[in-house]
Amino acid sequence: MSEHTTLSDLEAARNNTRDAAAQLESVETIESASDGQRQIPAADAPATEEPADAGPAIETLSMQQALNRALSETLEADPKAMVLGEDVGQLGGVFRITDGLQRKYGENRVFDTPLAESGILGMSVGLAMAGYHPIPEVQFDGFAYPAVNQIICQVGRMNYRSRGKLPMPITLRVPSFGGIRAPEHHGESLEALFAHVPGLKVVSPSSPHEAYHLLKFAAGRPDPVVFMEPKSRYWQKGPVDTAGTGYSPEGARVVREGRHLTLVAWGAMVARCVQVAELAAEDGIDIEVLDLRWLKPIDAEALAASVTKTRRAVVVHEAPLTSGLGAEVAALITQHCFATLKAPVERVTGFDVPYPSGDLEDEYIPNIDRILFGIQRVLEYRRG
Amino acid sequence: MAEISFPLPDLGEGLIEATVLEWLVAEGEQVERNHPLVEVETTKSAVELPSPQAGKVVRVYGEPGDIIKVGEPLIVFQVPDDTAGIVGTVPQEQAPKRRVRLTANLDED
Repeated sequence: MSEHTTLSDLEAARNNTRDAAAQLESVETIESASDGQRQIPAADAPATEEPADAGPAIETLSMQQALNRALSETLEADPKAMVLGEDVGQLGGVFRITDGLQRKYGENRVFDTPLAESGILGMSVGLAMAGYHPIPEVQFDGFAYPAVNQIICQVGRMNYRSRGKLPMPITLRVPSFGGIRAPEHHGESLEALFAHVPGLKVVSPSSPHEAYHLLKFAAGRPDPVVFMEPKSRYWQKGPVDTAGTGYSPEGARVVREGRHLTLVAWGAMVARCVQVAELAAEDGIDIEVLDLRWLKPIDAEALAASVTKTRRAVVVHEAPLTSGLGAEVAALITQHCFATLKAPVERVTGFDVPYPSGDLEDEYIPNIDRILFGIQRVLEYRRG
Repeated sequence: MAEISFPLPDLGEGLIEATVLEWLVAEGEQVERNHPLVEVETTKSAVELPSPQAGKVVRVYGEPGDIIKVGEPLIVFQVPDDTAGIVGTVPQEQAPKRRVRLTANLDED
């Protein structure tokens, strides 16, 4: 990841946090007094409640349950963590991600806000300045727009503006992407918008296991992370190894190995690309699926490693084509693999129109056939 | 299973309360969206309130003749945990379908 900001810069930022925390000793603390040091729940450490000899703690959870568990454990481990947003308290969230958290951790740490996203993010900035670790939720992707000024001008910049004195350890949860036949403003894909903002990190989990570990990891960062939850994948269950043995939350991840072509995806599109890879195998095409996971910073090394091997790449996303994150992925692949690429990187994406609600979303979201067509175009390409 | 409480909605024209005339559903009953729930009377008129959602009725508040203020609990539903939320539907997992076949000559690899 030489050309791009890497996760290793988190170390420097983490030191900043400690320095800032030391200067903020006079800040009021909530409930149990904190020593001013951030307790970072280590994503790869065994869960403390598990006996050492219990073996791998693999459970079958939905992403909804996995996220709820991750939030609960974060609130448990980090006395400065707080959850705020519309209906996250008493109701437990419209997707029930925060179900039961207010009962367990009280109204001071898990609370409902007014219906004003700029206020939710503004409050989070203030809380972060005062030494807390807010985990705000905007109820739907489309409602992040009213908070864009706070996200870009405050959340992304405060650490820079204050020369590292006021880091913004904010984890902004955004139920994202389409797939649930919801009305307007409830199916947006904002990753390119957030990834373009200096100071923000952007991540999207593709499975319950990823969701559990990436949320705990993100919540432990000293920098703001936009956490894009694929809402169409909230309910499907999958194995979650809460101990996280051998799991690394950083960079991209190969979901399925293959030789002929790399499918690059994130969020809800990962599961679809795995389906496509299985279908392509019937035709004798061996496809590698790369779950990008971090959309800022992008793991350019993993992209290069995969496409150097397969020499062909298709990137799939739900957001519109023009200036979508697929363009960045294509540019990175081209830059690293130009000499060996068999064909230009193909993009299979949504269209350059506002996200269509309801029944039309099947026509908009890349489906299996559109992805297969994209693969075919790459396979057919001949130079000259 | 989760419980969702539905408060007496703003019935318009600055009305702040309504009197329960008759419950049209009973506790334990499964109702569909838009099914009539209750007849209430305001100072303007008597109206039937349709159900805002599908679910099993867990509790109803107020006997006929009782006054309920706007915003106070009216009815509580029990809904499965996989209800999509306030909008949208839970996507169904389907076997992948395809119409496109891949053809490639990979010999030169």
